[in-house]
Amino acid sequence: MTARHGSSGRSEAEAAGGRREGVERRISPVLGESLRNIQAEVGYSPDIKIREVRLGSSPGIKAAAVHLSGLTDTQALNEFVMGSLLQNTDLLTDDPAVHLPDLLLGRALEIGEASIMDEWHDILIAILGGDTAIFLDGYTDVILCATRGGEWRSVSEPTSQLVVRGPKDGFVESIATNISLVRRRIHSPKLRMETMKIGSETRTPVVMMYMKGYASDDLVGEVRKRLEKVAIDEVLESGFIEELIQDKTITPFPTIYNTERPDVVVGNLLEGRVAVIVDGTPFVLLLPAVFTQFFQSAEDYSQRFDIAILMRIVRYLSFVVLILGPSVYIALTTYHYEMIPTTLLINLLSQRENVPFPAFVEAMLMEVAFEFLREAGVRMPRVIGQTVSVVGALILGSAVVEAGIITPIMVIVVALTGIASFAIPAYNMAIAGRLIRFAFLLLAGMFGFYGITLGLIVMVAHMNSLRSFGIPYLSPFVPLSVRGQKDTILRLPMWLMNTGKSPQQMRAELPKSMQVTTGHEATLSPAIQKNEELQQKRREEDSDEQE
Amino acid sequence: MNRSSWSKPGRICLVPLALLLAVMPLFLAGCWDSVELNRRAIVSGVAIDRGETEADKYVLSFQVIVSEEISGEKARGIAPVALYTGKGRTMFEALANASRQTARFLSLGHVRVLVISEKFAREGIRDIMDVLERESDTRLTSLMFISKGQPAKDLMSTMTVFSKIPANDLVEKLETTSKQFGYNYRLEVDEVIRGIQLRGGGPTINGVQTTGDKENAGSNDNLKTIAPKAILRITGLAAFKDDKLKGWLEGETALGTALLQNQVKEFPSLVEDKEGGFIAFNVYQSTVKIAAEGKDPEHPLIIVNISQQAALKEGPSTLDYSNPEVIEGLSDRLTAETVNMIQLAVQEARRLGSDYIGFGEALRRENPRGWNRIKDHWEDIFQSCEVRIKADAVIRHTDMRSNSFQVNN
Repeated sequence: MTARHGSSGRSEAEAAGGRREGVERRISPVLGESLRNIQAEVGYSPDIKIREVRLGSSPGIKAAAVHLSGLTDTQALNEFVMGSLLQNTDLLTDDPAVHLPDLLLGRALEIGEASIMDEWHDILIAILGGDTAIFLDGYTDVILCATRGGEWRSVSEPTSQLVVRGPKDGFVESIATNISLVRRRIHSPKLRMETMKIGSETRTPVVMMYMKGYASDDLVGEVRKRLEKVAIDEVLESGFIEELIQDKTITPFPTIYNTERPDVVVGNLLEGRVAVIVDGTPFVLLLPAVFTQFFQSAEDYSQRFDIAILMRIVRYLSFVVLILGPSVYIALTTYHYEMIPTTLLINLLSQRENVPFPAFVEAMLMEVAFEFLREAGVRMPRVIGQTVSVVGALILGSAVVEAGIITPIMVIVVALTGIASFAIPAYNMAIAGRLIRFAFLLLAGMFGFYGITLGLIVMVAHMNSLRSFGIPYLSPFVPLSVRGQKDTILRLPMWLMNTGKSPQQMRAELPKSMQVTTGHEATLSPAIQKNEELQQKRREEDSDEQE
Repeated sequence: MNRSSWSKPGRICLVPLALLLAVMPLFLAGCWDSVELNRRAIVSGVAIDRGETEADKYVLSFQVIVSEEISGEKARGIAPVALYTGKGRTMFEALANASRQTARFLSLGHVRVLVISEKFAREGIRDIMDVLERESDTRLTSLMFISKGQPAKDLMSTMTVFSKIPANDLVEKLETTSKQFGYNYRLEVDEVIRGIQLRGGGPTINGVQTTGDKENAGSNDNLKTIAPKAILRITGLAAFKDDKLKGWLEGETALGTALLQNQVKEFPSLVEDKEGGFIAFNVYQSTVKIAAEGKDPEHPLIIVNISQQAALKEGPSTLDYSNPEVIEGLSDRLTAETVNMIQLAVQEARRLGSDYIGFGEALRRENPRGWNRIKDHWEDIFQSCEVRIKADAVIRHTDMRSNSFQVNN
């Protein structure tokens, strides 16, 4: 087990260990002492299992296998560790020149992956991760056997980003399974991975994956650097990492893509992106990510290109409807009534005749009610979810109109934006649109189309200011690259698209002034900087305490 | 905003403060020109009458849509539109006076019809047009009408059958008649303004009138009988010199005028049969080009080129339509009919002393310098200049039959 540690994480753990009194944090040559130390360190947790054995003929050598029940692959443990340990007794000698752990590792143990370690902390972490440690009386070297396993959800269809045509397997919570799902699709030695453990308490395995030669070294270096700087206690989901390594926190737009689909990860790796897989979550991060990426679906490449183009146009359109739908309605009815066709206007007028609220309040009420519904629908147990949607959509919708509180056209507009938000394939972009929609609603309520136009200008300017690991967020539109249009709103036939462009190539094509160097301190997000400062502070406090 | 300022504890309160300062003015400024739809009274048509005295020179009547009566579920069975009248020395004053009677803001953004009374039109509509062009709410695409021989207000208060809003009914009537049989055509405010600016000429504006029982025109009773008691109808063309109405064009004269202005889409043309009765044609395409030979601008030659395509629609005679010579003979007579119409139109224009058919424009295009010399007395030249009409008509088909069944009898 070769583990790369975040440097700050390790010192944190050590410092934390220093606080606990009475536990000796080293491997003792006396077996019983080591075992007691281990148990004391984990607080005599019942799931730590210690199996003490004697190797060889009587009296034999005292040994103990330590593992966590539930996290280990029981079959491997029984057959390849315990079995081989107890059966190969003829190998044992009393010759003091023979290093017993080496001997066992080299000649007895049948398990595929095992190593020798003498670092207390590493051994402890390995046990807590599901490995089995074999302690031998008289030695400070410990054999670690990779018996990680236990129960995981099996590979199943992803719950987000569904496709009609395309692979149906999705990532699971196990990082090993997830890596294998990618490996299965790329039989190439160029696929590289780097493992690190992030989270001073959770020690969550995180794998950075890229294609050597496709991803630029700059990018890989930058991602590695940012990952190493992440210093938090827990990593429960890739979102934790995402927030700490993204370029800008104060923006509604996502600058890192996430997916549950291995085929999407493979496609992006081959386009020169870097994937970050976090243990315990099926959502894999892909970076850098540009705006257009959030409107692409894996299915675009399975269907004919002309149909794919149509589907993409529909998605962009749905984004426009999502952010501008209610605000355009407000602007039209309260400021620019002359733009509505006369017949429609008469219709709207008679609808509005007895409605007590201004159109803006009406829109706000409906939009907020719709957000309630959606939130309720998502969080409710599935059985109730059905009821929620029926009650919400049918009863609330029609009752509100019949009661004369909301105009029917408002219900149509809100329903339309609701549906539009579901047509965007990336959920994080859809929720960004939902948020922005309220800003536009406010602007339209106050300034009409004038406000909407100002809002759009600010929004586009803001999007232009965004970078994702050095790549301008709106590329290839801004800066314009005609060649880059092959796979944006358009999806040209495969033979015209060739393979995509690596971020390195994309960057090389930018005008000089737009070339952003990654690996620069200033590109770090404020969150990372803040985090670092916090970490530094804690370290200082700890060292004070120790003294 | 410098990123590092976020993390400096002393300056962190600046951010919410700045945001607050940025947001506050929005609420202070308010939304002064926002009007909810149910605070608006949508005006569908405006009638402009000449008051008796200078103090109320402009009598403006606004036809306001009562939307509930038109598409609401809670219709009370009252009239679908309401008429509000205001008087004043200027248009704006009249509008202000009228809005005192209405509970809501009179909104002119959807005015589709403007009717000016004949009395006002004879006096001159120049000042009215300035307001219509200047006012940001009204549209330059509203249609103009002149009420023939009756107050314009009457036309705004006639109940109509097909569209609940009389103004819309008028628009639809105009569109129907211009498409099928008429010499009336869409004429928008900006075209009228351009017509007024035409040197020596003027616009020709559609006339409109109510016929029948004018007393009950404004009540629901008008529609209770199968034959409506009063009907809003499009009539002839009002011919203007500059901004003043000079006379009304009707029948063939009006048709000839519309032809010269290239505004006719389809019209029926009749040719007298030798055996008595008429043969009717539908002229479905008619293109007129007016050119001028103006080397001597004092004595220009105006050449009217007209080419038409027609279909035989009614031929109850024993003529052999399968014979090309017969068709050619008929097309010659069709041509003669067209030439006659155009001559009538030119004669009438000369009689009214207004070049609304645009001969002056043709001359100006041909010889701009010469035009500048004579434009001040173009009226005189227009009266006497030579007009040559070159007409050509083709009969494309005889519809479902060639010869009439009467041929064999």
